[in-house]
Amino acid sequence: MNDRYKAGTLLLAGAIGVLVATYGSLPTSTNAQQADAAWTQTRTAWGDPDLQGVWRYEGAIPLERPARFAGRESLTDEEVAQIQKVEEEQAAQRLAGAEGAAVARRSVGESPIRGNEYNSFWQDHGRPRQVSKQTSLVVDPRDGRIPYTPDAKKANERASARYGVGPYESFLDPDTGERCLTDGVTALMWQGPNGGHNRIVQSPGFVTILHEEYLDRRIIPVDGRAHGSIRQWLGNAVGKWEGDSFVVDTTNFIDRTNYEWAAIFTRPSETLHLVERFKRTSANSMEYRITVEDPATFVKPWTAVIPITRLGDDTQIYEYACHEGNYAMTNLLAGGRVDAAKKR
Amino acid sequence: MRTWIAVVGAAIMTGFAAWMLFPTSARPQAEGDAAPYTAPRTADGKPDLNGIWQAVNTANYDIQAHPARPALALLPAPPRSGSPGNTRATPVELASPAVRPFGAVGGVPAGEGVVEGGEIPYQPWAAAKKKENAEHWLERDPEIKCFMPGVPRATYLPYPFQILQGANKIVFAYEFAGASRTIHMDPVGDSPAPTWMGWSRGRWDGDTLVVEVTDFNEETWFDRAGNFHSEELKVTERYTPASPHHLLYEATIEDPKVFTRPWKLSMPLYRRFERGKQLLEYKCVEFVEELMYGHLGVVDPATGQRNK
Repeated sequence: MNDRYKAGTLLLAGAIGVLVATYGSLPTSTNAQQADAAWTQTRTAWGDPDLQGVWRYEGAIPLERPARFAGRESLTDEEVAQIQKVEEEQAAQRLAGAEGAAVARRSVGESPIRGNEYNSFWQDHGRPRQVSKQTSLVVDPRDGRIPYTPDAKKANERASARYGVGPYESFLDPDTGERCLTDGVTALMWQGPNGGHNRIVQSPGFVTILHEEYLDRRIIPVDGRAHGSIRQWLGNAVGKWEGDSFVVDTTNFIDRTNYEWAAIFTRPSETLHLVERFKRTSANSMEYRITVEDPATFVKPWTAVIPITRLGDDTQIYEYACHEGNYAMTNLLAGGRVDAAKKR
Repeated sequence: MRTWIAVVGAAIMTGFAAWMLFPTSARPQAEGDAAPYTAPRTADGKPDLNGIWQAVNTANYDIQAHPARPALALLPAPPRSGSPGNTRATPVELASPAVRPFGAVGGVPAGEGVVEGGEIPYQPWAAAKKKENAEHWLERDPEIKCFMPGVPRATYLPYPFQILQGANKIVFAYEFAGASRTIHMDPVGDSPAPTWMGWSRGRWDGDTLVVEVTDFNEETWFDRAGNFHSEELKVTERYTPASPHHLLYEATIEDPKVFTRPWKLSMPLYRRFERGKQLLEYKCVEFVEELMYGHLGVVDPATGQRNK
């Protein structure tokens, strides 16, 4: 299951929007524009705004602002056109079967994981990513950077250095994704190793989000109840409607800061508090805003604003039987034993 | 060793606790039970099956009728004891050492079974394989490894599940292993691959939700007794509201590779109507890592020592 290594590599690289083959298809842009022009917020049979469908982040905006755009929150029209051109070229290169820099992926040579070219088949060979003026998904702090504590910054560097390298001495050494546990709730709506597909289903009193990877699932009550007291990996969420925005407040996370995480910003701790706002902006787009507060990892709260896209009605969430097929774990540990024997 | 005993033990205790609280038999409902009841309707006029449900029976131990026994894993051949000529009584069932420390907590409660007619029509080779599965339960049952439970087993595991009726899609969210199913009420293409939880197409038949489930792999079991199927399994489920607080569940099992004819199991499902009841996480992958991988690394996390 080398795809998960690749996935984590991309997470660490901050390469957002891993594009993976989608069985469904998007409406053509012309159709989408026509639909959007006439769009008004649709409602469920009981009158709530309707957010249902399969959603995914398809943008080219990185989570944190790259150094070359330091001090700038938006791009010029020329820069947007330039990035658009690159995205289109890369999409064409992918279709042509190219690898490495030509498709904006790490080349085999750059990857810490030998044989990484195997993973290219997971990636989308079609659509270019959507380009916009935003220079980072993080909008607060204004510098577009996640405000890690010094310890968390070190933990992130350590995670980067270990990734795909090890040592792998026991099942506790691979990251949570490689262990088929989760990549964390923070990036659930807009990221994911194999495409970040999410199906939202609404029923009276509940909004359910089925995230394809790791079978992650959130059943969010929308009936005014208080937070439950049981600590969980994905915390305990309560939702409410504020106008047409769906607001989710999540607390009571379990502490798993002791595990290896591919990306530190997604790890749960007992002090983690998430506030998320989902607001549909057209038939096929939604603004997803997440504010992350956790003194265990960040010196102050941070907020990201993420445009996500509704995929065609024929797009499905498929079964992600990660643990059931986790041959990687057995192989990693076998490799770890060989490494240990060499050192003796 | 200790950890996997704990894992198995936790599963046993969960089932046992449920049985202690609700020692109701799993006898299939009489034909007339569901007939007079009309389900409430959702805002869009469909029968309303929303809620958290749970089976209260011993089907997960064995879908067929079974007497109580001392443990899930037994010694295959307890030795005769005593000296020649001594007529001392001989035990016929003794717990395997792996599960013996659980005592009465690890026992298997008796059950009337949920298979209509009682018999599972295995082909001869398959009957032999079922028996072998039962003898190797501890190594083979996918529940022990936290693998997705498949259908119909997900329904009567000793954990609740939630039905969430959306527009054109109904989610079945199971607590065990966080497994989910999407029931497609609208037209959908074929499954691209075999799956653990199947590919589910639903329709309404009066008040009954009928789900045809196909595209299974051959990895899942029906229970802890080794009852199994092949990748040709097709399950037709019927969920019929029978009162404000219970559904009648029926599953017709077809698998021409394993059985000589279709057969059926049925049971009531009960609403979990405790105030504020929520489906909680049971992310058991974390619980079985020591069992599955502890001995494979350089170091065993359970002991902190190097593996030999």
